[in-house]
Amino acid sequence: MEFFETVNSAIEALRINKLRSALTSLGIIIGVASVILLVSLGTGLQNYITSEFEKLGSNVLFVIPGRIGFGGRGPGGATVNKLSLDHVKKIERKIDNLVGVVPTVQQFTTVKYQNKVQKDVTIVGTTELFAEIANLPAVKGKFFDKSQIDSGKKVAVIGQTIVDKVFGTKDPIGEKIDIKGQKYQVIGVLAAQGSTLGVDQDNNVIIPFTTAQRQFGTNQVNNIYAKAQTQANVEETAEKMTKVLLEDLSEDDFSVLTAKQTLSTIQGILGVISATLAGIAAISLLVGGIGISNIMLVSVTERTHEIGLRKAVGARPTDILLQFLIEAIILSVLGGIIGLTLASAGALVASRFVPAQVTPWSVVIAFGFSILVGIIFGVAPAIRASRLEPIVALRHE
Amino acid sequence: MTPIISAKNLAKSYGEPPNQTTALNDLSLTIKKGEFTAIIGPSGSGKSTLMHILGCLDKQDQGQYLFEGKDVSSLSENDLAKIRNQKIGFVFQFFNLLPRTSSLKNVQMPLLYAGIDKKKRGEQAIAQLTAVGLADKLNSTPAQLSGGQQQRVAIARALVNNPLVIFADEPTGNLDTKSSSEIMEIFKKLNDRGHTIVMITHERDIASHTSRIITIRDGRIIQDEKNVKTKRTISKLDV
Repeated sequence: MEFFETVNSAIEALRINKLRSALTSLGIIIGVASVILLVSLGTGLQNYITSEFEKLGSNVLFVIPGRIGFGGRGPGGATVNKLSLDHVKKIERKIDNLVGVVPTVQQFTTVKYQNKVQKDVTIVGTTELFAEIANLPAVKGKFFDKSQIDSGKKVAVIGQTIVDKVFGTKDPIGEKIDIKGQKYQVIGVLAAQGSTLGVDQDNNVIIPFTTAQRQFGTNQVNNIYAKAQTQANVEETAEKMTKVLLEDLSEDDFSVLTAKQTLSTIQGILGVISATLAGIAAISLLVGGIGISNIMLVSVTERTHEIGLRKAVGARPTDILLQFLIEAIILSVLGGIIGLTLASAGALVASRFVPAQVTPWSVVIAFGFSILVGIIFGVAPAIRASRLEPIVALRHE
Repeated sequence: MTPIISAKNLAKSYGEPPNQTTALNDLSLTIKKGEFTAIIGPSGSGKSTLMHILGCLDKQDQGQYLFEGKDVSSLSENDLAKIRNQKIGFVFQFFNLLPRTSSLKNVQMPLLYAGIDKKKRGEQAIAQLTAVGLADKLNSTPAQLSGGQQQRVAIARALVNNPLVIFADEPTGNLDTKSSSEIMEIFKKLNDRGHTIVMITHERDIASHTSRIITIRDGRIIQDEKNVKTKRTISKLDV
């Protein structure tokens, strides 16, 4: 029998049992949809984080307090922080191929202007080089300079969110804002950065480092940012910085991170998470396949008489085998197509809230897998059907 | 001329000893082209088993069966499928049509396995259905047809590949008297036009329409007679 005719009669047979066919496909639909959706969420997240890091610049190095890795007490804990301005100066002095190195101190607090209040603002105390190193220039007014830092001026460069929420349409330059009871003169507005993973990156105020230490009452440095001259010598610079810092500190007191390293760590974690999720989703695909096998076996038993009749009028074993195999494949491909459509729609909806991206390879894999499932789970019932003796099958009622 | 059917010393039994039942016991039979043969016998006499073996649906335990001079036991599954498809047409007691499938599609089924193209399939199926008087029932499903009409669809299906021999297993066994005589009329017309027909029945009255009556009992032929006074009914059907 011609292949096309076999496909036609398979479709007809499936249409006769519409509800059963739909329910059988459901397993595959759920499997394919969840594989694609989970992979697209994972990929979307990875791409998003990569692009966020690229914005930061791949030449950047960070020193954070505490040790990341085995036995570390976690980064950023103020109680274990032993970083100070001396370390910054030492790095500046001993490492020559840096574009610059800056310390930062940070606190979250409330910023007021007249009767307007903006909560949970990140106050960053740093030096004039921060604009270049963190790739965060002032787009209006200007950044503070070295003399303003040395003299501990109460000046501030504010983020776009502060402008929008506190000043509205009013020009903020020259106005005075209130940070914890101290008045700061706004001298510049930072370039807008948008938000990362739902966290607003523009809800910040940058003030001179000396002023910040005095305001926060600390001699410490939260983080040290440095920028290498080229991407090629980032790793080498990281090693040198580690060596310099080890002169005064122990291995547990700090970590030197590069953007690339951090990125690959995060990507590694995300990769494992999304592979695990996809694996779990693949189990549902497997269960869907077993459902197909089950229904095809029922169908062979139910249609034993039909098989006998077909053989009596001249069907070869191959014709019967193909008929049932193609039915199983159609069920799984149909499930695959519907699952793919649902996943794409789901990813489209999800991408309004979280980064999600349907990747071609996940589609190919999920789709290919669903066809494979159809073949693997359809072949046993189909072989059983093809081997039925015509007369035994005909007698079956 | 080689007879279409030449069976020698056929034996077939079912089950394992000691509960074995013998269906065929050393049965020999020859059928030539153009014969209209009835095989009659009570139920359990082995007549259905005989027809299944002759129709290449089943195999004998012992003996030799030559179909058109070819030893059937030496043929592969695919060769047998081809013989059933091209040389044999079956008509069954319970019609054996695919449910929820139109007359036209049912009749086309053997052509599908013969690899005939779509246009030709349609033409041949329509021609056969027209010949059995069902030109207006092409798209009816078995459930929408009477028993007699269903059996006529089955006959159209048996004929559509222009087979060498038609095997009919109690073709009227499930029909009322009127439908039965209509079906018999069709078979006789077919025989008049040269078709070889082997029909199984347990009704003498039905067998009397044929030209040769073979009686079997306990798996053996006990009588093989020429029926000279073949019963004729007034034809209402133009076949």
